[in-house]
Amino acid sequence: MTYNKPLPKINADTKEFWNGCKQHLLKIQKCGDCGFVRYPPSFICPRCHSTETEWIVAAGKGSVYSFTVNHVAFHPAFQEDLPYVVAVVQLEEGPHMLTNIVGCDLSEVRCDMPVEVAWEAITGEFSLPKFRPVL
Amino acid sequence: MAQGINNEVAIIGMGCTTFGELWDRSASDLMVDAFQEALEDAGIEKKDIDAAWFGTCFDEVNVGKSALSLTKTLKLPFIPATRVENFCASGTESFRGACYAVASGACDIALAMGVEKLKDTGYGGLPDFGNLLGSQNRAIFANLTAPGGFAMLATAYFDKYGLSPEEGKRALAHISSKSHHNGTLSPKAHLRSEVSIEKIMNAPIIAWPLGLFDCCGVSDGAACAIVCRASRASEFRKDPVYVKGLQIAVTSGEEMAHQKWDGTHVIPTYRAGCAAFKEAGITNPREEISMMEVHDCFSITELSTYEDLQISPRGKAVEDIEAGFFDLDGTIPCQTDGGLKCFGHPIGASGIRMIYEEYKQLQGKAGERQVASPRIGLTHNLGGFPCMSVVSVAVFGNTL
Repeated sequence: MTYNKPLPKINADTKEFWNGCKQHLLKIQKCGDCGFVRYPPSFICPRCHSTETEWIVAAGKGSVYSFTVNHVAFHPAFQEDLPYVVAVVQLEEGPHMLTNIVGCDLSEVRCDMPVEVAWEAITGEFSLPKFRPVL
Repeated sequence: MAQGINNEVAIIGMGCTTFGELWDRSASDLMVDAFQEALEDAGIEKKDIDAAWFGTCFDEVNVGKSALSLTKTLKLPFIPATRVENFCASGTESFRGACYAVASGACDIALAMGVEKLKDTGYGGLPDFGNLLGSQNRAIFANLTAPGGFAMLATAYFDKYGLSPEEGKRALAHISSKSHHNGTLSPKAHLRSEVSIEKIMNAPIIAWPLGLFDCCGVSDGAACAIVCRASRASEFRKDPVYVKGLQIAVTSGEEMAHQKWDGTHVIPTYRAGCAAFKEAGITNPREEISMMEVHDCFSITELSTYEDLQISPRGKAVEDIEAGFFDLDGTIPCQTDGGLKCFGHPIGASGIRMIYEEYKQLQGKAGERQVASPRIGLTHNLGGFPCMSVVSVAVFGNTL
């Protein structure tokens, strides 16, 4: 089945992240100088401005920080998924990640709910990191 | 801090079209109507205008790039004219350009015009931003909607302050119901019907917890202002309105990058408010502001703005809302003309439409919705998402 939704646009900052996703590894960045762990990917550390960057693999665990349930689609390709949950997940490593919550009833989603990554392979090139409740 | 422009600039004329689904009128038609009203209001002629600023957000729709469409439409005689765009603060940004021009002494009289024909996109909300937000958009914005981004502000706020979804939605519904009431008294508004709290709470969900009536309208419209140095204002009219503070704060990106922001409020609103109050010499906003027009793109935006502008203490906005503090007969009436809720949000025009309401209120010309003896009015625009925004805050008064 073809995937009709918009695809990620890879650039120099995000290439390593999306390559990790393809292998189902949630790669985020750690500053080589101050140790600050960050997402989304950026060339310099937003805290100390160092360009020394190490990629680490996040455990893929965290909790729901905030969420919404979309009942109207912004892009027509998401129409078939309505209603769906868009959430900010706070990773155990610290960063917030905008994602979708899947694998549960919509009415069960709560702030602070423990979640873990649930990979969705959408094309041969791309997998998206979505999250599901930890059972 | 520099001394700012408190009491340096006066508004001597304003114009504002009716807002709505104006399928039969172009952006040019709207600009002409707003401009004619402002010229007559100021009692000046077109040749008296030395420079112009033009605010419009989506140049792809109708007006095109640069300020050409302004100068050609109004037949302005080879004066400097500049188009500005700064998300939802575009209208206030054009006003800022005009104010700084006269405050600096570079010109005597300047025009600020804002226009947008949003309905021509044929889309219910704002046009698709596409890649305008940068190449990380898939990583950051995923399949998030504008209502969704602000809905998460509501979810986080409810969670932080222990509000049940029912309690939170009821407070938000009070905000929208209040604005709809004010809209019934506002002849230029797009939506002019009473809407009850129960109806708002039971409306179809757009992005939970926000329903249909938590979202502002989508409209076409134009508004403009003519300004001069405050010292010359009495040459033009007896009741000019003075600019007390005019500030814009744009995020540095730290909300998302530093992991310290709690997602329950909008940092640039707080920062722009602090800067504008300092410029205006306001030390206690809750005591000194008479009324305000804030950026109610969504009901939760208005709630969080009450706190970021230091009108309500953190976590206490719901108490103020339910006590009627922001109602038309309350202590600080908010959205006295109906706000974005009832005017919709033709982006380039909105900021100046808000100033138009403060101007009329401060002159005592607001008709049925007139606030008793106002002294200080405030306008606020928020462009972008709660996590990444451009915010303007402006303060106006009717005495020097």
